[in-house]
Amino acid sequence: MTAKELLQVTSRIGSMLIEYGAEIYRVEDSINRIAAAYGFSDGANRIEVFAIPTSLIITVNEGDDPPLTQTRRITNRGTNLDRVDKLNNLSRFICTEKPDISVISKHLEEISNRRVYNVFVQVLSYAVVGSVFTLFFGGGAVEALFSGLISMLLFSVSSFVNRVKPSVFFQSVICSVVCASLAVIISRLGLTDGFDKVIIGASMNLVPGITLTNCMRDFIAGDFLAGLYTLIEALLVAAGMAIGAASAIALFTML
Amino acid sequence: MQVNDVFQQVVLPCIYSFIASIAFGVQFNIKLRHMIAAGIGGMLCQFIFLAFEFSGTNEMLCYFFSAAAVSMYSEVMARRIHVPVNMYLVIGIIPLVPGGAIYNTMITLIGGDINLFSQRFTNTIGMAGAIAMGVFAVSSIVRLVRLIMKKAI
Repeated sequence: MTAKELLQVTSRIGSMLIEYGAEIYRVEDSINRIAAAYGFSDGANRIEVFAIPTSLIITVNEGDDPPLTQTRRITNRGTNLDRVDKLNNLSRFICTEKPDISVISKHLEEISNRRVYNVFVQVLSYAVVGSVFTLFFGGGAVEALFSGLISMLLFSVSSFVNRVKPSVFFQSVICSVVCASLAVIISRLGLTDGFDKVIIGASMNLVPGITLTNCMRDFIAGDFLAGLYTLIEALLVAAGMAIGAASAIALFTML
Repeated sequence: MQVNDVFQQVVLPCIYSFIASIAFGVQFNIKLRHMIAAGIGGMLCQFIFLAFEFSGTNEMLCYFFSAAAVSMYSEVMARRIHVPVNMYLVIGIIPLVPGGAIYNTMITLIGGDINLFSQRFTNTIGMAGAIAMGVFAVSSIVRLVRLIMKKAI
């Protein structure tokens, strides 16, 4: 495999890993291992990787040739742990089998076309999370029902907001305002006893679980820059949730 | 303790965590065959939390030990079936998120009682810190053991 091909393969795998929500440690480690499998480990032939959650820089040195560098800016990050798992398997496969670039491209194409759950199942999962957490935090059956309904609406709101792409902070503020206002309105109509359990349950859908876990794991691995980035993102999302719910509740108490 | 109480205080929360963990698995796009194991992680986490709470341990320590337990579970499962640790850790830790505490902190802020707010705020931060420390402790030890094993071979 030539340096150029290696650069293509590793930058594609690395950016896919970051986009699907892998830890930065995993990204750098996979790229280094793949390069080592093709003999780019140290000395004149080597690879240098720098990854943070928003960009990926890879430089390949081969002999006396001028080094090749590729930068990838990552703007669109989501969570798809199934594809992370498959990419992980692929990089293990590359390390043992050392296949051609055409084989790797075919595998990558397959992974990026793997099925995700359809919209109906996703809406259902939001509803289940909302109502189960309402019961978990001590709500009654009626509250759980309304929490499930609000969560379903929250799915459409969050996917709509996702398309407009404001900052993560503003995104969670909007979702939280919608969730809290609906809960307060329902309780004002006399359908539920209080709105607090409904809000807690439905808001669990917005908790930045993957961001927090990645933050902890990046700090453990020593990638402090990536850890700080994800920590700030998680804190902003949490603050947005609190501010959104607080402003909605405060507004309705004044009315 | 009555049978009914056990059901209300132990069995129900565990079942709830199991179902919620599976639903979160759908949101994170985890395939069906990993989902049951991830759900068991969430249930285990909740069960250990309740066990420590029932024995009268300090609340922070409950969070610490249950986070450490679920971290251990996900490390072991990840080694056994060769998947990223994240897959089980993210889902297992979700039932520990102190949603009620965060909400109450926010409500006292709206109410304007700044003393109670600062008390509850510190408490919530402590819970989050305890969870993070639980994961930190186990993951660091596992990492250290793997490094030593790699050096030894």
